[in-house]
Amino acid sequence: MRWFWIDRFTEFVCGSHAVAVKGVSLSEDHLHDHMVGYPIMPNSLVVEGMAQAGGLLVSESYGFGELVVLGKLAKVKFYSCVRTGETLTYRVQVDTIRDDGAAVSGTAHVGDRLHAKALLFFARLGDANESLQGQQLFQPSDLRHWLSLVGIFEVGVHQDGIRMMEKDYPLEDCSDDAS
Amino acid sequence: MASEDEIFEKVREALVEALGVDDEEVIPEATLQGDLDAESIDFLDIVFRLEKSFDIKIERGELFPEDILTNAEYVEDGKVNDSGIAKLRERMPFADLTKFEAEPSVQNLGQQLTVKDMCNFVAYKLAA
Amino acid sequence: MRFWLLDRICSFEPDTELTAVKNVSLAEEYLVDHFPDFPVLPGVFMLEAATQASAWLVRLSENFAHSIVVLHEARAVKYADFVTPGHTLHMRVEQQKSDDRLVHFRFVGEVEGRTSVSGRLVLERYNLADTDPEQAGLDARMIAHQRSTAAILTRGIDTAAATL
Repeated sequence: MRWFWIDRFTEFVCGSHAVAVKGVSLSEDHLHDHMVGYPIMPNSLVVEGMAQAGGLLVSESYGFGELVVLGKLAKVKFYSCVRTGETLTYRVQVDTIRDDGAAVSGTAHVGDRLHAKALLFFARLGDANESLQGQQLFQPSDLRHWLSLVGIFEVGVHQDGIRMMEKDYPLEDCSDDAS
Repeated sequence: MASEDEIFEKVREALVEALGVDDEEVIPEATLQGDLDAESIDFLDIVFRLEKSFDIKIERGELFPEDILTNAEYVEDGKVNDSGIAKLRERMPFADLTKFEAEPSVQNLGQQLTVKDMCNFVAYKLAA
Repeated sequence: MRFWLLDRICSFEPDTELTAVKNVSLAEEYLVDHFPDFPVLPGVFMLEAATQASAWLVRLSENFAHSIVVLHEARAVKYADFVTPGHTLHMRVEQQKSDDRLVHFRFVGEVEGRTSVSGRLVLERYNLADTDPEQAGLDARMIAHQRSTAAILTRGIDTAAATL
C-alpha cells in the first residue's frame, strides 16, 4: 500500500481552493479486506484524500517550504458508500490561513452524489510539537515528486490567474546540509 | 448587541462542537485546558468558530498572548514578572487574572482560562 | 496490505467498552510515503483503528447481527502526538448511546500512557438485505468471515459473554 490518497488535481488555485480525483479500484489490496465480499472505500481514507488535497493547498500558502500535518479532524459526516469502479471528487477550500495553522473545509462527491463533508485543521509541524521544530518530513525532491505525480504544476494557478511554476518553490535538495 | 446569555449560549455551542464535550460540562467556571481538555490545536478551532458565530476577527495572541509568555523581557525562571503581568492585564482586560497573579508560572495562564473569561472576551470584542 | 488496524482485542464489555492494541512497524509499506524522513502512523489510521475497535464492540455485543458496520461521522478528533515505529497504540472505545441504525462512541488512543488521539465517532450498521433481499446470502457469508476474524483478534479473552 502506498500513501497516495488523491490521484490527480484537476484544479488548484493558490490560497483558495482545489479539486482532486481518486479512482476506487479492485486492484487495491485493502479493499479485499474492507469488506470481505463487498468492497467499499474505507471512510477514513476518504478523510485522508481531503486531508492530502487540503494539506497541499495550505502547504503551498507557506511556500512549499514545509509540510503541514493534520492536527484535528473537527468534523466529518458520510452520506453513502463508495464502491469499486467509482471515482471520488474532492473539493477543498481554505477557510482560514494564519501563521499558526489553517482551517480547510472539504466535500467528497461521486458524480453528483454527496459522499462526505469535512472540516479539517492543519498545524505547522513546529507548532504541533515543539520538540519537532525543524524536523524534516520530506526531502524537497520527495515533495517535488509527489507534486508531479498529482499534476499540481499542470493545472495550478495563482489567484491572479498566472500559472504556478515549479522554479518558484524550494524543491531542490540542498547539496550541502543547510537545513 | 448580544446579551450575556446569548453570548454564553454561542460560546457553549462552539466549545461543545470543538472539544466534543457535553453541554453540561461547559459551565462558566470550567477551565478550558484543565476541565475541558482543550489543547493548542483546539484553540485554532475555537477561534475559528467564534469568528464565524459572532462575526468578529480574532488575531493570533489576542485571546491568549503567547508572545508575552515567550518574551524574555517578561518571563524570569518560568514565571511572568511584574512588567509582564502589567502587559497581560493590558492585553487581557476580559480575564480575571487574580489567581494567576498569585502563582504566575507560564503554564498556569492557559490552565486557568475559564469559559467565563472566553465569554468576557467575546463581549469585549463585540463592544469594541 | 491487510486492512486490519488492530492486532489484538484485549478486553470488552458488551455495549460498554472495548480495548485493543495496534503495533506500528517499519514493515508497514505505506510508511515509506508517510513520511520518507519521519515515518509515523497516519492520523486517519488512528481514526480507522478507533473505527474498527468500535465496530468490533458492536459486532461482539449484538452477535454479528449486521454485515455492514461503517464510519458515519467523526468529531473533535484531535491528534496530540505522533506514534512512531516500535510503539504500540492502545485504543479504548466507550459506547455512549445507540439506536437501531447508529451507535455513538468516545475514543482515546495512548502510547506509553500518553494520549496520541481522542475524539468521538458514530457508526452506522445494516444488512445489504435491508434494501435487497437477494443479498441475504452475501450478508451471511460476510458475517461468517467477520466471526472468524473476531476469533483471531480475541484469542486469549473470554468471548462467552458476547453470546446473546
